Amino acid sequence: MVVVGRNGTGKSTLLKTLAGLLPPKSGSVNLGGASVEAMRPRQRARRLAFVSSTPPRGTALTVRDVMELALEAGGHPVEAIRVDQAMQSGGVDQWAQMALDTLSDGMAQRVMLARAAAQSDSLILLDEPTAFLDVVGRQEVMADVGQWREAGKTVVLATHDLDAVHESGWADRWMVMRPPSEGGAFLPEEAFTSDAAKALLMGKD
Amino acid sequence: MKAHWSLPLLGAAMLVLFVVGLFSGPAHLEWSEEWAALQGRGGETAGTIMWQLRLPRLVTATLSGAALGLAGLLMQTFFRNPLAGPGVLGVSSGATLGVALVALGGASMGSVSGTGELGPQVVGALIGGGAVMALLGLVMGRFRSRTALLIFGLMVGYLAGALVTVLQAGAEAGALQAFVHWGMGSFAHAGWASCTIMLCALTPAIFWSWKASNSLDMWTMGALTAKTMGVDERTLSWSALGTAGILAALVTAWCGPVAFLGLATPHLVRAAGVRGRHSTMLWPVVLTGATVALLADLVVRLAGVPLNAVLSLVGAPVVLMLIVGRGRIFSKFRAQ
Repeated sequence: MVVVGRNGTGKSTLLKTLAGLLPPKSGSVNLGGASVEAMRPRQRARRLAFVSSTPPRGTALTVRDVMELALEAGGHPVEAIRVDQAMQSGGVDQWAQMALDTLSDGMAQRVMLARAAAQSDSLILLDEPTAFLDVVGRQEVMADVGQWREAGKTVVLATHDLDAVHESGWADRWMVMRPPSEGGAFLPEEAFTSDAAKALLMGKD
Repeated sequence: MKAHWSLPLLGAAMLVLFVVGLFSGPAHLEWSEEWAALQGRGGETAGTIMWQLRLPRLVTATLSGAALGLAGLLMQTFFRNPLAGPGVLGVSSGATLGVALVALGGASMGSVSGTGELGPQVVGALIGGGAVMALLGLVMGRFRSRTALLIFGLMVGYLAGALVTVLQAGAEAGALQAFVHWGMGSFAHAGWASCTIMLCALTPAIFWSWKASNSLDMWTMGALTAKTMGVDERTLSWSALGTAGILAALVTAWCGPVAFLGLATPHLVRAAGVRGRHSTMLWPVVLTGATVALLADLVVRLAGVPLNAVLSLVGAPVVLMLIVGRGRIFSKFRAQ
């Protein structure tokens, strides 16, 4: 699912609520029949992974360290072969021994995406993951997400990057966030396109 | 330098310094005399020197160095700030105020000169440090950011410092001198009881730090990422701050406000090339802290310079060199 909307309409808040980081004002978030906000952090980490828009800074961890921690967090066995696989499928294996801090923002963000994929087999929440990436990086991220979809993972992506979503072609469900004065959140039913989303956001509907 | 061969090297250095410290001192004892005294034979004077003065002093230095190094590592990881050390929470400022209240506020300061291992100044330091910890616990839930916590520690430091100044202004000369002397730091005032207490705090601190090393690693990737990777922010904050606070309070109680060791030790370890996972750095930091403390104490005894002067004279240039030479030490800690 792709979540789009102007700045300040609540995309991040929605994702954080889904991740159990913020309590819902009303209702509850259920995942596989269990309430997310009632889960312990460790249980939650086994069912969903989250990537924020800012790549981490100030860490001496290497890419390999990050993958090991991701497998640990997801409750998977931390084996060298699984770590290698996770790095390869995320396209970050060439930086395996490099510290995250020596990578550029874009490279570090790709590591965080590979981290999320290694951590969660089911649900991955992405909060504007391409904000720091160049055009190629954006395409790579969208391609990664496409692969996750094929592997049967559920992805919720909040983004402003409608063109990249359009090019990748995997978006099947949309959610448009609008301020209450403009009708609030909106779940289009039929085949919705990034062009339609763009028009809706710019008030041309 | 890789962690796996830094450990035996550091262990050996620590052992050598410990033995050198054990067999040197102002008493000019013969080797054979010292050896005999260690085995419980020989003269009473030599026995007292070895068992009541030198050994507890060396054990105190070892434990304090290890404790401060570990506390420094925990605080730098928790605050993601290279300038964090055991002092940032204001615990040692509180302990200093406690000592000032006891020493300058009327009670006799005789104990500071070395005899009172569990004397009033130690009680004062423990109460002072404990009060700051309790205050921290009370207000921590209201802090929205870790920067607010750092500012809290800084303000507690100013407040305690001001009260100490007031007490100093009204103190009599003898008490003032004893207090200033205490502030210079020394491993000589502690005895076996304090060593036991420090060991009882250090052992679980190392154990917890080892067990929580994955969480601490995740924490370096940012609070948001760490929380979605299964880190319980509350538990981690309480444990990290509590551990560092208790270690800092105990060391300050018996050794005075020891400067620089907690801040500089993790940087020394990183400069030697041991970095990355918390579990990789833990033992090198503990051993380096102990080794540096033993070395500093040896200089104190040979040159007759106060401990804090030795540590700052060596520590400040070392940290400066690391910053200038490597340049990246700060960018590595750029706040998220």
